[in-house]
Amino acid sequence: MNPPPHRILVLGLGNDILADDAVGLVAARSLRRHYPDEIEVVEAAESGLALLDFLEGRSHALLLDAILTGRHPAGTVLEFSRGDFDTALGTSSHYAGIPEVLGLAECLGVPVPTELCILAMEVEDLYCLREGLSVSVERALPDYVGRARQILDGWCRSPVGSGA
Amino acid sequence: MQKPIREAWNSAYTKANEEYLRRRTITIDPITRLEGHGKIEIFLDDRGEVERAYFQVPELRGFETFCIGRPAEDMPQITSRICGVCPTAHHMAATKALDDLYQVQPPPTALKIRDLVYNAFMLEDHALHVYILGGPDFIVGPDAPKELRNVVGVIQKVGVDVGKRVIAMRRRLREMISYFGGKVIHPVFGLPGGVSKGLAPADLPGIKQLAHDAVDFARFTLQVFKDVVLKNDRYLTLITSDTYTHRTYYMGLVNGRNQPDFYAGKIRVVGPTGAEYANFPTQHYLAYISERVEPWSYVKFCYLKPLGWKGFVDGPESSVYAVAPLARLNVAESMATPEAQKAYEEYIAALGGKPVHYTLANHWARVIEMLQAAERMRELANDPGLTGTEIRTIPTATPKAGVGVVEAPRGTLIHHYETDERGLIRKANLIVATQGNSARMAMGVEKSAKGLIHQGKVDDGLLNMIEMAFRAYDPCHGCATHSLPGQMPLIVSIRDASGRVVQELRR
Repeated sequence: MNPPPHRILVLGLGNDILADDAVGLVAARSLRRHYPDEIEVVEAAESGLALLDFLEGRSHALLLDAILTGRHPAGTVLEFSRGDFDTALGTSSHYAGIPEVLGLAECLGVPVPTELCILAMEVEDLYCLREGLSVSVERALPDYVGRARQILDGWCRSPVGSGA
Repeated sequence: MQKPIREAWNSAYTKANEEYLRRRTITIDPITRLEGHGKIEIFLDDRGEVERAYFQVPELRGFETFCIGRPAEDMPQITSRICGVCPTAHHMAATKALDDLYQVQPPPTALKIRDLVYNAFMLEDHALHVYILGGPDFIVGPDAPKELRNVVGVIQKVGVDVGKRVIAMRRRLREMISYFGGKVIHPVFGLPGGVSKGLAPADLPGIKQLAHDAVDFARFTLQVFKDVVLKNDRYLTLITSDTYTHRTYYMGLVNGRNQPDFYAGKIRVVGPTGAEYANFPTQHYLAYISERVEPWSYVKFCYLKPLGWKGFVDGPESSVYAVAPLARLNVAESMATPEAQKAYEEYIAALGGKPVHYTLANHWARVIEMLQAAERMRELANDPGLTGTEIRTIPTATPKAGVGVVEAPRGTLIHHYETDERGLIRKANLIVATQGNSARMAMGVEKSAKGLIHQGKVDDGLLNMIEMAFRAYDPCHGCATHSLPGQMPLIVSIRDASGRVVQELRR
């Protein structure tokens, strides 16, 4: 039997051989060094329902991911919370992303974090197989990790038992 | 490699790759590239009828350049990382390519373990499509209000207990895959000549129980499908409607008795009448499969090389073939396991005999394949050879070239590597499953657009019906997509006879 999961999860999502898609993983690795004990840091390349396996049983979760909307300069950090997705569910869902996973969890009574934050960095390149980040993304990395630490510091101070 | 050198290397290869793409004279809508959207362009004539419709998806670049110079043994890890949706399929195709490259035959126990893991993966992936991705079309209903056409709508229709059962089975199957190979996405499982880990006899009862429960789960899924879909005459009418029918060739791996085999076998191709067109060892794929580039899409369109490219046409003049569940059941003469065989007979009888040309029948075929995958798991779990200790044959031959082929959930997946004598990659070619279906998918989108859009009138319901034409294949769009923005983005642009965009729908 596995031990119960840490209440606070950092989930770095991405692919480290797909250019800027690695940014969430790189940031997660850096956070692991800052929080050796009180937080669990997971790097994952999974999508859809697999995310439920990571989120189940946590009270707080911070997701780090790359996003490419073409509407912001590369390096811009976008922040989403659970509330941002309530309206997204139902528009189309033949693809299982975070909103669907949360919707499904709610439907099935699976405990998922009540405190959920997604920090997504706008990037340049998500389609070329290569190692290494674009310069714009590399430059924005310290601020990205800094924002993640602010959020995590707040969560670490919150009393155990808050959240789910 | 040191960091500055690696960066210089990557930048040079990116440039070379971009140059190569330019030479292919592809024009790409910037939206497709920037936002990673699936894109459908519909061109209307002056009466508002559909003249042409194009379906475009983004594609990953730079695969071959990324691989050149790397050790062939890295390919199962590299390729399993290019797609977050079907890592196990890439891992297995790459592992088989390494067997071929080093001319090594894995011991029987290793082959059984690979087969077991692969069938578990097939079952898990198919279940995800049946219940979650494709479920909204059939379980909820193709013309249900759009706020219900999602995973929550599916659960409301089948019930919370069924939902829990799906999640639990999926998790157990993935745990078994992890037992043998570590992480599902970065598996350390297949090695040239065998596998990295055997099955401890003490863990066999757990595997047997899982296989037993998997058969129950697949049976139950077939029942859900029958109750919800097959008892509804309107669905059956939709499945068999001309809008979703294409008389093409079909391709899939078969065993010596022409039964579907997801892990091994020869490639069999049948024609639009169902007659066998070809049956060949996987190493001969280049003699049969060719790829065509069109100016409006990144995707390369596969066709049967000996017939030559004849355009996006079906019927006796076609050279287009399809892969995936519908195709696999068409190339098969029977199923490889008893309960799947029974389900297959019902399917063929209900749909008017073979070959079945109805694209939407893919959903039904997928459920039948779930049953075969689960029954095959049970056979293997009860095979005394599964717990053998000899799991690797050490390669000794000098490598040159290797081909590995499996049936991915989405169809025939081909890996082909050439190396120097040290085993460093010189050339790597992949034909991914969705590519095998790309021509037929394009035809499907165009035909459904023509059938459904008249006098320039387009609404959301019609849009969904057009999407259904490609969703049945469970296509894998842009392997990069994982969590955000949380839905498969799609843009449909409708253009009038002068080419002006008159309507744009986004979802």
